[in-house]
Amino acid sequence: MLRELLRRVHYLLNRRRFDDELADEMAFHREMADKSSGVPLGNALRLREDSREAWGAMWIDRLGQDVRYAFRAMRSSPGFTAAAVLVLAIGIGATVAAFSAFNMVALRPLPVRDPDSILRFGRHTAEQSSSRIPYPAVAFYREHTRTLSAVFAQIESGLSVEGAERSASTSFVTANFFEDLGARASQGRLFSVGDARPDAPPAIVLGPGFWASHFGSDPSVVGRSVRLNGQAATIIGIVAREFSGLGGDSPAFWALLDQHAYFVHGSQVLTDFSSGVAMWGRLAPGASPQMAEAELATLAAELRRQHPKDIWKDERLLSKPGGHAELLGVVEVFTIVGFLVLLILAVACGNLGSLLLARGASRQREMALRSAIGAGPGRLIRQLFTESLVLALMGCAGGLALGSLVLKLIMSWANGPTWLDPTPDWRVIAFALAMGVLSSVLFGLTPALHTARQKNLRKTTTFGRTVLIGVQVASSCVLLIVAGLLARAVERAAFADPGFEYERVIVVEPSLAEHGYNAARARTYIQDLSARLRGLSGVEDVSVTSTPPLSGLKIMAPFTRDGREFTVYIHQVDPRYLATMKIPLVRGRNLIEGDESAVVVSESLVQRHWPDGDPVGQPFKIGEETLTVIGVAGSARLLSPGDPDTVELYRLVRANDFPGLFVVARTSGPTEAMAPAFSQVANGVDPNFKPQVQLLKQRFEENVGDIRRGALAVSVLGVIALAVACLGVVGLVSYSVAQRTKEIGIRLALGAQSRHIVRSLTRQFWRTIIVGLVFGVLGAAGLAQLLRRELYGLSTIDPIAYISAIVLFILAVGLAALLPARRALRVDPLVALRCD
Amino acid sequence: MHKPEMPPGAMVLLILRVLHSGPLHGYAIAQRIHTLSSDALRVEEGSLYPALQKILLKGWVTAAWGTSETGRKVRFYKITRAGIKQLEAEASQYDRLTKAIQAILRTA
Repeated sequence: MLRELLRRVHYLLNRRRFDDELADEMAFHREMADKSSGVPLGNALRLREDSREAWGAMWIDRLGQDVRYAFRAMRSSPGFTAAAVLVLAIGIGATVAAFSAFNMVALRPLPVRDPDSILRFGRHTAEQSSSRIPYPAVAFYREHTRTLSAVFAQIESGLSVEGAERSASTSFVTANFFEDLGARASQGRLFSVGDARPDAPPAIVLGPGFWASHFGSDPSVVGRSVRLNGQAATIIGIVAREFSGLGGDSPAFWALLDQHAYFVHGSQVLTDFSSGVAMWGRLAPGASPQMAEAELATLAAELRRQHPKDIWKDERLLSKPGGHAELLGVVEVFTIVGFLVLLILAVACGNLGSLLLARGASRQREMALRSAIGAGPGRLIRQLFTESLVLALMGCAGGLALGSLVLKLIMSWANGPTWLDPTPDWRVIAFALAMGVLSSVLFGLTPALHTARQKNLRKTTTFGRTVLIGVQVASSCVLLIVAGLLARAVERAAFADPGFEYERVIVVEPSLAEHGYNAARARTYIQDLSARLRGLSGVEDVSVTSTPPLSGLKIMAPFTRDGREFTVYIHQVDPRYLATMKIPLVRGRNLIEGDESAVVVSESLVQRHWPDGDPVGQPFKIGEETLTVIGVAGSARLLSPGDPDTVELYRLVRANDFPGLFVVARTSGPTEAMAPAFSQVANGVDPNFKPQVQLLKQRFEENVGDIRRGALAVSVLGVIALAVACLGVVGLVSYSVAQRTKEIGIRLALGAQSRHIVRSLTRQFWRTIIVGLVFGVLGAAGLAQLLRRELYGLSTIDPIAYISAIVLFILAVGLAALLPARRALRVDPLVALRCD
Repeated sequence: MHKPEMPPGAMVLLILRVLHSGPLHGYAIAQRIHTLSSDALRVEEGSLYPALQKILLKGWVTAAWGTSETGRKVRFYKITRAGIKQLEAEASQYDRLTKAIQAILRTA
């Protein structure tokens, strides 16, 4: 076997010489045969090719021929080639951009040293779990573990910076963090173990984003002293752009966990079992995640003997891979994006398929000639398909370039993390190639079969084109409708009444828990702060909540109704909260002090839970507790403004909740003018730290902006798809006009009215377009269901979105069909009859 | 005049058989098969040369340049040890097959 293979390779490499020898030999055969019998022999070249087939290398020669031929054919029609490559590049580019984004976020590991050996740990028992682990426990595990070669911990805090309006996000990490993860400083140096010594001077490291935005990328900031939360610290270096960290955060500052209490006044994170930090570990050589989990479970049990209250019974530390970005919701989002870009590719392929079919019809003569000189249908199909493949590969190269460029633009536009690198890697290139081959099958195979078969060409061509147009219509219709749905969602989010006041509300976040306040001290602080704010002129109302609107903080509880599970948002508030946020009370009474087991529910919850009946006086269970409904408030989408399905309830804050409370205040005038006074008041309550003051209006606008960007992106995709589909229709009708010039001429000569001509030309397409539209609407409805899970505020049955998308589509397609059809009317009967 | 068609696979067997008696060039192989079959089998160049290429690749024959009876430079094919083995195997198999077919034809 091996020898045969070697001989084959030998033949392949020396095939020119062997071919000459064979030709010589066969020529001799002919000479002899001629002399003896005079029997006519077959085509010499053909016979020789048959013989060479035995070597098994013919396909290489044929491929070479076909590729050469394809290039020659392309050169002879540069317009067609350019259009085809462009359409394909758009189609493939869209998929490539989506895939490289997915690759960047989900497939590639984080750019840190040996990401596969990093584990993220969380606390678990049968009843409860937490992603945060108390720092004293982390220190204990670090000291005793043998399966982990390094343990990292991190906690985030917002610190105020001189000269910056907003507080700067700061990640506090253990001293080994940068060194073990292989991070590089672009200026200065990063933390080393020496910086964590108790007598070491406070040091901070700048993130590349903040260095650029706040310090103008000035290298001389290294060594300079800055004040964070009023505490002096020296900037020792700047982290390189490509460093990602482990938590997916791009903080303004990196600081040492050991110095948390220096920056955050009163912090007890290093000694307190009630708070927690994120913990990662690096597996020691030879250790497996199971070994690490088993060892840590034993260590947790040991620690529980020392701290029975702080470590849970049967507590285990479970691990998950820590070297990848967190994938919350990423897969779902990319499923949707994937659908949308594949639709664009489908439109592009359908379009190109019809272009190729039209070209196939005009190449009929060439095909007839080729088959007359001995090319079988298989050979012709192979040749035509090779041409498609060459086109696809060119489109693929174009798509790769276009996709990467678009991704780069999107990333700079959306202010993505600096460490994400949009340069295509082997996965992206392989994906682009696969898309190229796939699309060449999609757009090239049917035309190749039709053209090569040559049977009933006109009829099958029209049928093939009809199918291809149908695909384009359906796909672009889906994109347009989805774009319409998203645009309407934006409109609703931006302009509809969210059910609460956001224009004139200011949120004060003192982060008392972080500053080591216990419940009693926190209560005094909150009361003091509320009273002082109430004393400001221009403040209308002040109250407290544990989950300020639009902050991303949510407390949720599940409840079941008729076998379906729902989630209710729980607002822990004081009795004034509804009034402060201008949420109306529609039935029953409001909460009063001491209403420990009473609850006010939203109208949306009433519709869900007591669709027919008065909820007031009814019990409502949250977990183990049973509360009594005392009133009904208007629906207010405080926590996710776009989601019309949220249901919420309000109950009183309890004594233990105070360290985590926020103060909200409504002002009589614009909040911008009031913010400085708020800061001044808030800073005065405890001079050791500065609470954050935020305008609710800003958060609201950011929230709407996210949805708006999404809708804009889908609209752009929809318009691209529509444009490509219209091009397809223009091409189809023009082709049909060109084919029927003679017929039209005769009809005109016999006195046909122009509208009859136009109607007969476009009639055949209307059915296709309508069938395509129906499929498109169905597809869009299906996709909307999927989108609905990710994007609230999107209504799956939004007649305005559907109708406007369909009307836009019919207008565009109708115009695209009529323009070339009108050309038919200018046909001069005499000229038409004279041609062919 | 109609010539019987060569059964598939038989071409390789016949080529090996005629080469067993000594090296021949392509045309001579065709001629030899033609005469040995008393003009019943006619070997077309369209099937001879593909078969020869296949046998060469399998290593059952080797080719070497020589001079023909007309004084022209031409390739002579010579059977190899592996070729002889293959010939024996195929011949006995062919033998069994024809015997079986004939047995059926006679008795059925």
